[in-house]
Amino acid sequence: MTGVAKLEWRGVRKSFGGRAVLDDLDLAVAPGRSLVIMGGSGQGKSVTLKLALGLLTPDAGALRIDGRDTASASKSARRRAFADIGVLFQGAALFDSLSVWENVAFRLINADGVPRRKARERAIEALSRVRLPADLADAYPASLSGGMQKRVGLARAIVGRPSLLFFDEPTSGLDPVTSAVINELIVEQVRDLGCTAVSITHDIASARTIADEIAMLQGGRVIWSGSPSELDQTPDPYVRQFVEGRADGPG
Amino acid sequence: MTAASASLAALTPFRLIGHPILLGVRRVGAITLFGLRSLAATLTPPLYLGQLWRQFLAIGFFSLPVTGLTAVFTGAALALNIFSGGGRLNAEQVMPQIVALGITRELGPVLAGLMLAGRVAAAIAAEIGAMRTTEQIDAMVTLSTDPYRYLIAPRLIAAVLALPLLTAVADLIGIAGGWLVAVRTLGFNPVLYVRNTDAFLQAGDIGSGLVKASVFGFVVALMGCYHGYHAAGGARGVGRATTHAVVSASILILACDYLLTAVFARA
Amino acid sequence: MSRARSNGAGEQWAEVLLGFGVIAAAAAFLTYSLSAGGAGRAPDGYEVTAKFGDVGSLAPGSNVSVAGVKVGAVADITLDPASYLAVAHLRIDSKVKLPVDSTAKITSDSLLGGAHVVISPGGAAESLKAGSQIENAQGAVDLFGLIGQFLRPQSGAGSAAAATPADGPADGAAAGGASK
Repeated sequence: MTGVAKLEWRGVRKSFGGRAVLDDLDLAVAPGRSLVIMGGSGQGKSVTLKLALGLLTPDAGALRIDGRDTASASKSARRRAFADIGVLFQGAALFDSLSVWENVAFRLINADGVPRRKARERAIEALSRVRLPADLADAYPASLSGGMQKRVGLARAIVGRPSLLFFDEPTSGLDPVTSAVINELIVEQVRDLGCTAVSITHDIASARTIADEIAMLQGGRVIWSGSPSELDQTPDPYVRQFVEGRADGPG
Repeated sequence: MTAASASLAALTPFRLIGHPILLGVRRVGAITLFGLRSLAATLTPPLYLGQLWRQFLAIGFFSLPVTGLTAVFTGAALALNIFSGGGRLNAEQVMPQIVALGITRELGPVLAGLMLAGRVAAAIAAEIGAMRTTEQIDAMVTLSTDPYRYLIAPRLIAAVLALPLLTAVADLIGIAGGWLVAVRTLGFNPVLYVRNTDAFLQAGDIGSGLVKASVFGFVVALMGCYHGYHAAGGARGVGRATTHAVVSASILILACDYLLTAVFARA
Repeated sequence: MSRARSNGAGEQWAEVLLGFGVIAAAAAFLTYSLSAGGAGRAPDGYEVTAKFGDVGSLAPGSNVSVAGVKVGAVADITLDPASYLAVAHLRIDSKVKLPVDSTAKITSDSLLGGAHVVISPGGAAESLKAGSQIENAQGAVDLFGLIGQFLRPQSGAGSAAAATPADGPADGAAAGGASK
């Protein structure tokens, strides 16, 4: 990749309670590209994501966004970095005491100081971009289906027009049709915003749809990376086992 | 290596004692650090006033019924007891003053605090705990909003402001409870009862009770926030957090009550 | 706390009303305590006065009784600027007629308070009318003053009621002191 990576993990190590979850992780995403991190359960995908988000700090190694190290960054630098990031969490993580539009506009109202009326307009516009009707704006998350909650979560992530988007298991718990809708929306928004996307999933179909590049995690490090078409052709036994969904094999 | 591990195993009984103590000390340290960070969040901008108002209503206003009930029954029972005890010393006439003193200095703040420990600490721990286990707090961080300032600081400030007000209401209703019983059952003159109470009570009696109430409010909110914020492990974790919040808040209230009373009694 | 949707709207309103109710109850009691002018409780009564040298702990609202039965309350206590006597305004139940030669005395339930006015009715045929004064009045016995006067010589500036028994020893002590 030429130029500065948008996001990179360099030699990252992380352990929990003596157990090494990530061991010398090296990964980079070029600006405007969509990376999907795959791997079996418990292989460290969520930890990788949380490290990139700054919710966890690495035991060793460096995390860089736009070439700047996040661990050593000042508080204001980190705050500015967060202003440019959108995250769709696994369960959507909507605030259940706030309405849909208040969720979507949360960043605008509480961090950016946008007046409520303007924030509501922008929220409804974001909802339309994920193909949710405006009359859903005053509903509460508890009354929505899982798929709709994820779409609201997506709207919340993109409302600030971020340059970096994260997706944590975007299709988990969804039926195939809704999954397809989510995948399509992700591709659409990433293209419209021209942003960099990092997703973690074990849904291979989803990965094929949304990824420019796939990285496979195993044993705390990246054992394989390549494009979705290369995924089908690689002879790597672990990857083969994962892609074909077999119980027997190295994994 | 084996010799060392063998002797370590022999010391297990001591470790059984030392381990929980270390855990306890670590817990106290963690709570202290959390408390300091929360305090810093209350003192620096931004301050989310909308959240603060919401919490003030939830903690203060909606706790009025339970506080009022507690106060009236306690005041009435106390009046009966002090009257009976006073009878042994031929001092029944002093009952109004003693009841008022007991309520304003001790029972008002402590009972209001304990009622809130059960009600508010549990609710805060449950709500924040549920947010923690569903990644809502992580989400908030990624939305450039500090959960210490958005979630915790409003609850702390609201509790510190609300509990003295609740205690003031509890004081009035407690004394009224004693007055009701005294006038209806014990034959006291209604006007003289309140007049004597009014003449006897000093500003320090009421004031020390209100200061205690502020401290108790801080304790209740802090315990609810701490245990909720650090909840882990799904629904069971939230349940555990709720229980711990109530128990630790109650114990801390009683301990602080003694310390504060010792300070005020000497003053 | 998110109460908005955990309860139904009706239950929420009930809670709000209950909260206001508690505040109202507390405020009502507070107002009552502060005014404590509930002495005018028998508006259909009539008022008589009695002058005392010392009213002790008697206060507006204190009971006025005859033969142990409450017949009224002390409405107000003022100071007569001419005679420096305390004037107690007693509001008596209109159904109770008091002979003009009745005696009013201030006594206490116990050492710790409970001062009230006891009226011993006289034998006269004529009754006290509204606004008239009870002529025979005995003020509160200042017990501690009495004890003090026995313990310390005093120039006789005690209460009218206490003056008589205390005169002897006080004079003797003063005379003893003056002859030095």
